[in-house]
Formats: sequence, C-alpha cells, structure tokens
Amino acid sequence: MATAISFDDVTKRYRGGREYRSLRDDLSAVVRRRPPRDVVTAVDHLSLEIAEGESFAIIGHNGAGKTTALKLVTRIAFPTEGRIRVRGRVGALIEVGTGMHPELTGRENVMLYGRILGLSRNDVRRRFDEIVEFAGIGPALEQPVKQFSSGMQLRLGFALAAHLEPDVLVVDEAIAVGDAAFQYRCVERMGELVRSGRTLVFVSHDMSAVEALCKRAVILDAGRIRSEGPAREVVREYLAGVEAELTGRGDEPALEGGGPLEIDRVTFHDDSGAETGAVASGEPIIARLHYRTRGPVRGPIFEIGISDGRLGALGLASMFIDGEVPDVLDGSGWVECRFDSLPLLPRTYELHGGVLTESGVGSIVPWQRLGVFRITGEVSAAGKGAVSQLMEAAPVVLDYRWTIEDGAGGE
Amino acid sequence: MMAQIDTSAAPGPGPSAPPQREPRLRGEKPVLEISGGAGRITRDALAELWMFRGVLWAFTVREVKVRYKQAAIGVGWAILQPVVAAAIFALFLGRYAGLSSEGVPYLLFALAGMVPWTYFSNAALNGSQALVANESMLRKLYFPREVLPFSSDLASLVDLLPGIAVLAVAVILYGGSPELTWIAIPVPVVLLLVFAAAISVALSAVNVYYRDVKYALPFLIQIGLFLSPVVYPLSSIPEQWRDVYVVLNPVATAIDDLRLIMLHGEWPSWGTSALALGWSLLLLVLGYALFKRLERGFADRV
Repeated sequence: MATAISFDDVTKRYRGGREYRSLRDDLSAVVRRRPPRDVVTAVDHLSLEIAEGESFAIIGHNGAGKTTALKLVTRIAFPTEGRIRVRGRVGALIEVGTGMHPELTGRENVMLYGRILGLSRNDVRRRFDEIVEFAGIGPALEQPVKQFSSGMQLRLGFALAAHLEPDVLVVDEAIAVGDAAFQYRCVERMGELVRSGRTLVFVSHDMSAVEALCKRAVILDAGRIRSEGPAREVVREYLAGVEAELTGRGDEPALEGGGPLEIDRVTFHDDSGAETGAVASGEPIIARLHYRTRGPVRGPIFEIGISDGRLGALGLASMFIDGEVPDVLDGSGWVECRFDSLPLLPRTYELHGGVLTESGVGSIVPWQRLGVFRITGEVSAAGKGAVSQLMEAAPVVLDYRWTIEDGAGGE
Repeated sequence: MMAQIDTSAAPGPGPSAPPQREPRLRGEKPVLEISGGAGRITRDALAELWMFRGVLWAFTVREVKVRYKQAAIGVGWAILQPVVAAAIFALFLGRYAGLSSEGVPYLLFALAGMVPWTYFSNAALNGSQALVANESMLRKLYFPREVLPFSSDLASLVDLLPGIAVLAVAVILYGGSPELTWIAIPVPVVLLLVFAAAISVALSAVNVYYRDVKYALPFLIQIGLFLSPVVYPLSSIPEQWRDVYVVLNPVATAIDDLRLIMLHGEWPSWGTSALALGWSLLLLVLGYALFKRLERGFADRV
C-alpha cells in the first residue's frame, strides 16, 4: 500500500522564547557574539510512515511534539532538518474556528472559511445547507460571529472542515470541546471518512476516541517515538504510564468549578479496595468521587455514567433515579459507587458525571468527563471480530445464543 | 531545499477544480515534499498562488467588509482624509505660501496629489502589518502567506476609487468637464497598486522578524510625502533630475499622470509610466523573493 505521509529523520527546533526580536537585539548580538538563546527541540529526529487509508493516532503528554508534528505535515511550520513527504491533498483541523472573523456574519464566514480550507465557491454553495445543518446554528446565521457562543463557532468550524474531502485529514484535539452530541457527530464523521478510504492523523488526549477511530498509534515523548503499534496496545501502554504517574486517578486532574461543591478527582478501585485503573471484564469496579464543599450543601444528587466515547452514557448510576441522596455534605470526603459487574468488552471507557441541586433542576457540577478506566481481558480468540474494536463494534456484552435450523428439515 | 507541488499531476484544490471531481487514481495524487531552509520563487509557488486566488479574493472582501462594518461613516473616512488634507494645504501652502499649482486651482491640484498619496501610504502601512495582524491564522491554517499582504493592498483600493470620484466631482464643480483622457485613469492606479504591493510584501515579511518596521514606516511615509510632488508640481524638480526622480519614485509618476489626465485633460506620459511600472515590477519580484526567503519561519516567529 502506498505511503500517505512519511517523516524522514525530521527535527524541528524553535529558538527559545516566542518574543520578537528588535533590530537592536540582533545588532548587539553581532557585536557581542552572544551564543544563540536557548533552543527548544520540539521534534527530534522523527521517522514515521503512515500508509494510505490508515487511521493513525499520535498521543503523548502536553509538549511532547504532537501538534508540532501536525503543523509540519500541514506546512504551517517547516522542519529544521529532514524531509516530509505527503501524498494527496491535506485537510487540517489544527484549531477549529481560526480564521473566522468576529465582525462577519455566520453566512459570510462560511463562505470565507470554506475557501481558506480549500473548498471552491461552488463546493461551499452546493453544501451550504448541509454544512449549516451539521453545525446546527440555524437562525444565528445572519448574525456576526462575535455574537455566537464559542461552541457555535467551533461547530461551524468543524462542520466546514468535515465537508472537505481531503486525501489526508489531520485533526488536532478539535473535538475536545463542544457538547457531547456534537462530539459524537465529529467522531462519527471522521469514522465515515476513514471508511471511505481517507487517511486520518488524529492527535488527542481522548483515549476512547483514539481507540475507537484509529488502527495504529505512536506515543511521542520529548519529540521522539517512545512506542509504536496497534492503537489498542499503544493506548494501554500510555494509560499505564499515566497511571504510574498519577497512581490510578483519572487523566483529568483538578476539575474546574467555583461552586459550593466540587469534585476534586476520581479514583477507581477493585474489589479489595486497592486503587487501580483497570479491571477484568465482569469483575467489580468501584468509582470513588472525591468532593470538597464550601459550607454545607443540602441534598446533592450525584450521577455518573459510563461512556465509550459516543453520545450518551452506556449506563447510568443516578441518585435522581434511586433516591439515595445524602442529606447534607460538608467539608471534604468521597462518594463511592460500586458496579458489581460491568458487562463490557475490553477497551478504554470514560466515566462522566455531574451533581444536581437538591431539587434536581439546576446543576452544581455540570456533566463532564471525570476520568478514564480500562476493562481488560481477552475477547474470545475464536471470533474474528476480536481483532478490532472500531466504532461499529458495540461495547456491551450480552448473554445470547444462536440457534440454527438447517434446510434439510430440522431434527 | 524547497516545498514542491507536482501540479502537473492533478488539478488540486481551489476554485479552479470542477465541482464534481473525477475519482482520481492512486498514481495521480500530487506528492508534496516539505523541508526547511530558505524558500525561493518557483513555478510551483506561483501555480499554488494562482490556485488560491479564490482565497485572495475572499480575504480582500473580508478586509473591506470588516473595515467598514466597524466604522460609523464607513467609506466616508476614505474621502475625508485626502479632502481635509488638501483643504489645509490649499489654505496654507496655496494661499499664503503661494506654491505653484500648474495653473489649476490649488485645491484641485493638492487633491489630485493627496488621493493617490493617501492610497499609497494606507496600503503600505496596512500591508506591512498584514502578517502580524493575522498571527493566529499563520499559526493554525495553511494558505500561501503572500495572500495576506496582497489582499490588504487590494482592499485599500476601495478607498482609492471613492477618492478619485470625489476628485472628478471637484473638477466638475470648478467648471471642468470629463475628457476622453479619463479612460487612462487605470494607468496610475495600476502603478500605485504594483508599487504598494512591492513595499507591502517585503515589509510584511521583515516585520515578522523585526517589529521596528512598525515604528520606522510611518516616519518614512511622512518624509515620503515631501519627497513626492503632492504639494508642489513636478516641474519644481530640476530638469536634469526629473526623469530619474520620477521613475525611482513611482508614486510621483502616478500623481503626475493623474494630474495630466484629470486636471489637464491630457494623456499620461507613456514612456515615464512604462519605466516606472517596470521599476515597480522589479521591486515586486525582489520583495516577493525576500518574502519567500523568510516565509518558512513565519509561524515560529510571528
């Protein structure tokens, strides 16, 4: 199979500090012969091949060089050394919404942004309704974009980019923002593009999306490849590393919020109470929500759900439904939820959650992603489907039995 | 050491591509090589700029819309600027200092100087800031970077055209009438545009590296106002220097052409205009080459 993208011993260095030079600095540097200021190596002798039609993920910590690698592929930045070859037209989503102008209306921005992304005017016209529909911005179309919420701007940006038909689609964390329904559509749309034979290069911290979308992945660390292989294994390795650093807590520390009650972090425990990030399929798992309050909070309603990256939770544990609401919480402590068994296929799952007010109407902690855990174990080796767990593969293990009656007339 | 697009193999993106693309065979996809170092003007770079002409146009339209959406009297500013300056010059320089004005009313004379001068100075100032002003786009989107200074110069034309219209009205108010020669108005306009593009493309690139441009340019432009025949006639330049002066300073040629065409009903000086245009085109090529040389560091440095 042909190669879509190849990195050939590519290095990218930045001169330290982003601040601009003035002529005076340079003149004095010449006079005093100062050595160049500190140099940052973002990508360090990287060699990499991505095949055509492959869905490929680049994961790693912040500052590992992921975004720089994408910028080199898209010709936003250029390598200091080495060479990159890209086959076919590249469509990039480095940060959606950039290039939209706040003073122009949604309609005007659709036309402009579409052109920048490489759609012809006819392309944009032909797909205008489709794009607006996908973005779901409807009546706001004739208003200046500055009056849009940031979520709307993002949706519009992604909608445009999603209707490009590039040979290579490069996506950087674009879907990390926006509401769950929209994220789901984004992942779905990327899945469609992959199935139609396009190459996808995906940079994300969202491990379930990586695992759902990508066949192969690398972990970048300080600009070098630490690990390369099938996405499932690479994700597992990455999460194991994260767990080792954070001792089992979710990958999203320090949850935001200034409300009367905050969820500081979430930890996962096995049956013995030991902290863990992974349990075997069918084994019990305990999610512990560590909270902190400012003053007493009456009747907070905790809800948590388990998701595999798609819209909506696969299952829900809700005090709103079961009524086991604590009377008053004051100070700090934890709320624990035990799942006796999670009938899920081995993969990465997300824990989402939120806290409603006593009345159940407003929210104290908005519904959000709280942490990540893994279900481990072998999928029956006899099944061919065990090879991949892409989006179309359902995660829930059901008890079922096939019965086959053959054409010869039965028993 | 250059980025190449094998444009011969496929139509590629851009407005030129037909709405319904033929399914391409694997071998037909263009292969792009990306490496570092200093860039050059190549055929591929020009071909790519041509493919992105739709983006050039879209940016121009955006710039025009944005400029006038925020301003209450909109295009009025484009007219007010040269008119007020010309009136002040007419009062102090025409009436009290008694500067020569080639036998036409000094207000008309000064207006015919200020309209092209205002275009040039605005285009050079806005154009030289075009990259820095769109910093976030440089860091997050790909398109040929020269689109930014060029579209800024084109957008400034929207200020020049009402200025010329005001000049035409003033000529008629002073008892003149439109002449056949007015069809030659595009000659000075093209000259101004090419020269402004040369200055913008070079300075916008340098400005990414040295923000000194932002402070030096307004100062140079102020000096330029007095180095150009805005408030005095071209004839006050000594005869033996006039040809060199007028070619090296294409704004002077443009101003003189516009006066000949609109105030005197004469044809522009074709020979001088052609030489000045040739000089401006040479500067444009040099400025563009400088731009290409610096281009690959823009996203890192802006």
